[in-house]
Amino acid sequence: MPITTTRRRLLAGSAAALALPAFVRAQGAVKPRLTAISQWSAGSDGAAITALGKKFEEKGGVGQHSPVPGFTTEMMNKLRAQIIAGDPPACSQLKGPEIAAWSKIAPTVDLDAVVAAADYEKVVAPDLAKLHKPTGKWIALPLQIYSTNMLFLSKRALDKAKADKPPVTWADFNALAEKMKTNGVTSPVGTGGTRADDGQKFEASLAGISPAVYRSAIMNLDKKALEGPEVKAAFAQMRKLTEWMDPNVGAQPYATNLKRFIDGDMGMLIMGGWAQGVLKNAGFRLDDFIIAPGPSDNGKPVFLLNADAFIFWQRKEADLQAGQMLMAQLVMDPAIQTMYSQITGSIPVRTDVDLSGEGWSDGQRTTAAALKNAMGNNQAVLSLAHNMAQENGLTAAMIDVFTEYAKNKTIKPEEAVARLADAVEGAR
Amino acid sequence: MTSAASTATGRPATSAMVRRLPEYLMIWVPLLLSAAHLISFSIWTIWISFTPSTLVPVAGWVGLRNYNAVLASRNWQIAFDNLLLFGIAFVLLSLTTGLLLAILLDQRIRGENVLRTIFLYPLAVSFVVTGTVWSWLLNPGIGIEKLVHDLGWTTFHFDWLVNRDMAIWTIVIAAIWQSSGFAMALFLAGLRSVDSDIIKAAQIDGAGPIRTYWRVILPTLWPITITVVVVQLQFAISAFDLVRALTNGGPGIATQLPALVVYDLMFQRSQLGRGAAAAVLMLLILLAVLLPYAAWRYVRGRQAAHA
Repeated sequence: MPITTTRRRLLAGSAAALALPAFVRAQGAVKPRLTAISQWSAGSDGAAITALGKKFEEKGGVGQHSPVPGFTTEMMNKLRAQIIAGDPPACSQLKGPEIAAWSKIAPTVDLDAVVAAADYEKVVAPDLAKLHKPTGKWIALPLQIYSTNMLFLSKRALDKAKADKPPVTWADFNALAEKMKTNGVTSPVGTGGTRADDGQKFEASLAGISPAVYRSAIMNLDKKALEGPEVKAAFAQMRKLTEWMDPNVGAQPYATNLKRFIDGDMGMLIMGGWAQGVLKNAGFRLDDFIIAPGPSDNGKPVFLLNADAFIFWQRKEADLQAGQMLMAQLVMDPAIQTMYSQITGSIPVRTDVDLSGEGWSDGQRTTAAALKNAMGNNQAVLSLAHNMAQENGLTAAMIDVFTEYAKNKTIKPEEAVARLADAVEGAR
Repeated sequence: MTSAASTATGRPATSAMVRRLPEYLMIWVPLLLSAAHLISFSIWTIWISFTPSTLVPVAGWVGLRNYNAVLASRNWQIAFDNLLLFGIAFVLLSLTTGLLLAILLDQRIRGENVLRTIFLYPLAVSFVVTGTVWSWLLNPGIGIEKLVHDLGWTTFHFDWLVNRDMAIWTIVIAAIWQSSGFAMALFLAGLRSVDSDIIKAAQIDGAGPIRTYWRVILPTLWPITITVVVVQLQFAISAFDLVRALTNGGPGIATQLPALVVYDLMFQRSQLGRGAAAAVLMLLILLAVLLPYAAWRYVRGRQAAHA
């Protein structure tokens, strides 16, 4: 029976072929490989992830990064599709409460051993660490930290207003904005018109008025705090901000108007530290602007924490598993965090990195000092506008209220308070 | 035509069947595949709309909870009002613009081919491009308003794009620019197919050009008009890319449309169940347009058969 023999041979041959990689694995000769998806494709973010990929390859790995440009949610759609198809990437960008939510739909990698080996836990802020180990085990690693309420001041606009000091409280801020307006700065508050922009205006207002109320109202959704006087005051402050913004911005992203900001046509920008990377990448000089902590009525910096992270999805392939371990080690490495943050304008997750050396800007030093200070005073809170405080559904429902309020000046602060409470109720 | 030919030559039916097999395959296989695709996914979406699915689809039954949540949400209410306004304004205006262009082109003018291409050209541009271009043109800070200001008329005011009461009209403008060429092409074909004897008869009877159009030619166009209305309406109901590029639902949430709400719920907010419910509601709106159209076609077909 010649046919059977052939079949048998074929089977034996393919079995051998299949067994071969396992054999190689046993030899420890497997080349670490990493499939990764993130939203970082261009500008300083793209440059940073490319640099990280190079480091990965220098260590003998093969990196396969597939960027999904746009908002984080766009990246999540690809992630969802891959998870449903049973083929998740070895690692993907994900952050905040989404780490806990997504880890329920697909198995993740237990990183406890590699984190313990690097003695990493003690150099990460406890609030942040908690988000990355939702069930007590590390399944994700934060990569870099931003504060979403840093205050960028245009040097030229400050010159026009004959001011040289960044404002500390909201009253200072409002006075400076008024001064800029009367001295020919067209729009004292620079901005974009995206949903996140409007969300940031509100969170910066409320956290600056009272970080404690921000924590109970926005992070813990306490009904009484949500309907309290501080939230109303925050809406009133936000209304002032919208009055100083350029109404023609429409739905443009904030980066579209950065040249006007540098030229002193827009005065102040409440934005995350990433704006520094974008400004630098666009060819502007660091001495064209000042970075200060966002306005805080009690005078002590308030830090609206936003941290990018990688989550690691379980894979059976030995080369991917090796790649995951290599990547985890790299992400925790102080030299890598330094390299990454210096490109993007963020600050390192590790609290033990020294920012006094070359390559760091004054803005980054200010941010790092603000984080330390805010953590000491319990004024480091999680950003809502950048999906750190709540899951997507709730965040979006709340931002609906902020974005409508920003664009519709007939809505009164007290109406907005009621709408916010309704939106939270409806989305829960 | 093939069937007429085969019966005329009187060949046996089986060989005719075999000969026509490629035709059947060409028509029925893709038709069945796309129907199965469409129907199975529609049923799946309807099923999901009754489940508690959020990040990924899950089994379970929550009754009408998703529907109630969607219908009670501000986003959907605004989107539905906008759809009514946008649908009616867009269909009426693109119809009249298209008809006017067709009548003007029908005057046997020189350069008709060039003009027809120009009017049809926007249709070849993707909605995302249209939306982006118009978003720059209509932006008061850099577009038309700035141009007119720079020309010297500084009191000129045209800020519809960033004015939440008027922003929906910018979508109407861009949509008309895009698709009135399509209406024009269909109407022009209709105008050209009118029997020239009828027109001559009208002229002999002393009807002027306006009267000829109004009383003689336009009444023959109404089947085309209905086709255009249905095609444009289904575009209006499912409009997504244009709005996303032009206003992205803004300022604030003033230009939300149902398709944006569906996308938002499913892919931005990770609420698959509610997103599916909104999608089913959209399907119902579409059916409200398409079912009467199908009934009308059926009745007309029967009338034609009787005649």
